[in-house]
Amino acid sequence: MAGGGLLGAWRRLSLAVRVPVLVSVLMIAVAAVASQLVLSALDRQQVARIRELARQHVEALSVALGPHVLRKDIWEVYDTLERAAGASNGRRTVFSAVADTRGRVLAATDPRRAPVDSPIAKLAQGAQRPDQLEPGTGESRIRLIAPLVYQGRTVGQVVTELDISDLLEERAHARRLLLFGNGIVTLFLALVGYMATRRMLLPITRLVERMQESEGTPRPIPPEEIPAGDSEMARLVHTYNAMARSMAEKAEVERRLAERERFVSLGRLASSLAHEINNPLGGLLNAADTINRYADRPEVVRQSATLIERGLRHLRDVTKATLEMNRLDRRAQPLAREDFEDLQLLIEPEIRHRRQRLDWRVGLGHALSGTLPAAPVRQIAINLLLNAAQAAEPGGHVGFAVQETEAGLEITVEDDGPGLGPEARRRLLGAGPVPQGGGVGLRMVHDLVARLGGHVEIDDVVRGSRIRVILPFRAAEEGAWAASRAQPAGEG
Amino acid sequence: MAARPFRLGLTPVFLDNDAVVLAALQKAIMRGLGMPVEMEQRRTYKEVTEMLLEGALDAAWLCGYPYLQHEDRLSVVGVPVWNGKPLYRSYLIVGQDDDATDLPDLAGGMHAFSDPDSNSGFLVTASDLALMGTRPEDFFRRFIFTYGHRNVVRAVAAGLVRSGSVDGYVWEVLREVEPALTAGTRVIRRSEWLGFPPVCCRKGAVDDPVIRRFTEVVLRFDATEEGRAALKLLRLDGMTPATPTLYDGIRRRMVIFRRAQG
Repeated sequence: MAGGGLLGAWRRLSLAVRVPVLVSVLMIAVAAVASQLVLSALDRQQVARIRELARQHVEALSVALGPHVLRKDIWEVYDTLERAAGASNGRRTVFSAVADTRGRVLAATDPRRAPVDSPIAKLAQGAQRPDQLEPGTGESRIRLIAPLVYQGRTVGQVVTELDISDLLEERAHARRLLLFGNGIVTLFLALVGYMATRRMLLPITRLVERMQESEGTPRPIPPEEIPAGDSEMARLVHTYNAMARSMAEKAEVERRLAERERFVSLGRLASSLAHEINNPLGGLLNAADTINRYADRPEVVRQSATLIERGLRHLRDVTKATLEMNRLDRRAQPLAREDFEDLQLLIEPEIRHRRQRLDWRVGLGHALSGTLPAAPVRQIAINLLLNAAQAAEPGGHVGFAVQETEAGLEITVEDDGPGLGPEARRRLLGAGPVPQGGGVGLRMVHDLVARLGGHVEIDDVVRGSRIRVILPFRAAEEGAWAASRAQPAGEG
Repeated sequence: MAARPFRLGLTPVFLDNDAVVLAALQKAIMRGLGMPVEMEQRRTYKEVTEMLLEGALDAAWLCGYPYLQHEDRLSVVGVPVWNGKPLYRSYLIVGQDDDATDLPDLAGGMHAFSDPDSNSGFLVTASDLALMGTRPEDFFRRFIFTYGHRNVVRAVAAGLVRSGSVDGYVWEVLREVEPALTAGTRVIRRSEWLGFPPVCCRKGAVDDPVIRRFTEVVLRFDATEEGRAALKLLRLDGMTPATPTLYDGIRRRMVIFRRAQG
């Protein structure tokens, strides 16, 4: 289980760390294996050396002791053993004992430990033949047993203990030196390997960082950061840059498309507004004519002036509403009840033109319980209304309702048209790329709603469509809207 | 005549540095005699005595016991003087931690003698055992000859044997020059004073001019620088002629031992 967790944690590490670490670990593993090989060779050599030492030792004893053992001359055996031990200052030979053919001790370097005539078997426990000697790793003493051969016949046996601590210390020293040296070199190489691979992988690290910080809008890597030459890395970065540029171009195309959508809806609005302005113009010209004709009749002039004034006021309101619609880019004015009156004023000519019925319900008090920027909300509403008017048959029905709910401001636009097609739904609900045509302005609605942190719901109705937009109120943050908007200024 | 060197026989002396002692002796005699001197060292008294009797040696430093064994054919040139007297004793020694207090306590043990022809290193203990009505073969479980008094001390100190018979003069000198060795031993019995091992020559050669000169040189060791140097190494005072009764003590022990051997 822990292994799985560890493996998981390992897989979560970035490539720029994993590859260098792996390289270092492999280097250390190779060094460890190499060290092990050298050490085992060293060990084999040492064993051979100790065996040779043991063999020579026993051989020398045999030569020196042979005649005395044959004669069972206790003193001479003792004296020879003593002198043999003395020759090494007791450093090599720790103990030696010689027995006759019956296994009785003739003499030993330490007679108290091995008295004359005592059985040698007791001392021979754990003793090894020199030619089959397997020195244990930790034991500083080895015990040997060997027959004493003199003039071709076995005259007794010898048990001897050799101190090989100096050889072991030599081995330990060599081992320490080797491990220390290898350790240093390995660590150095592992570090160099780590840094080299890290450096090689640096472009990938940069690429990943660049992609992360760009948040979905890839930006090309500047030329000075592109690795030199025609390595895979350089090609990768070039490919990435080409991709980033093509994405930027595509985004630009989409942006222009959206802008055009805006102009399309504005154009439509403008044509209906032209009617709105044109209609009263006939009346106003009539009134002006009346004033010219009956300039001497003050009541008629007054009546006509009032008529002109009312017509001009209406024109002023329409103009003001239109201006407001296009001024919205400049200032983040908070939404107010009056905005919806403007909207009604703007949409009514279109409705009238199509001889449709508008069901207008604004369920708002004079003050809203929260803040919303006026500009985008007006855009959302007018686009939905224009779309509904387009969708409904001539003489059909368009409904508009706005109210406050716990979730925020809820705007509902409905019509009794053929309902939203899949294209329109995609534009309204999704962020993916859309083909041109159909449901003009709906993508803009989607983007605006998303930017305000709200969402769009499409209710299933028997006939026509009902689109509900829910926009959460936000704390008073002036400029939040202005700052976050990427919509190009479309001031007219 | 001038080409033939003077040959002096010896057994292992007692010190670790035998060579130094021998060289000093050789130098002193050579200077005194005015002719080359060869030191012939052999392992046993038996070998040296036989060489002397055969004429292979001109003189030899023997022990009182082999001298008495061949008293009819040998003559004493001089006797070393130790602590003012031409006398020494035999010591019976045991290991330092052994609780034996006298010879009877050593029954059944393993014993080291110096040489079967040594007075202090064999005869004294053997005759003591004879007085007790026994023999080394019966009294000890096993006994060995080490052919050298220093070796007896080594064998006892190392624990190779339980006890040993040793020249008291050698033991005392060793105590001075190799205290670590004698520290491993303890003296449990000292014999009566006996005649010091003499320098001997063949009886028939006494009037030989070379032997006469050699006798003069030996007896006047303490008068020459080389002689004194050799004596100093040997911890001896000088050399003196033998008196007729000097070896009576050893002679008595020989009688006791022979009677027991029967």
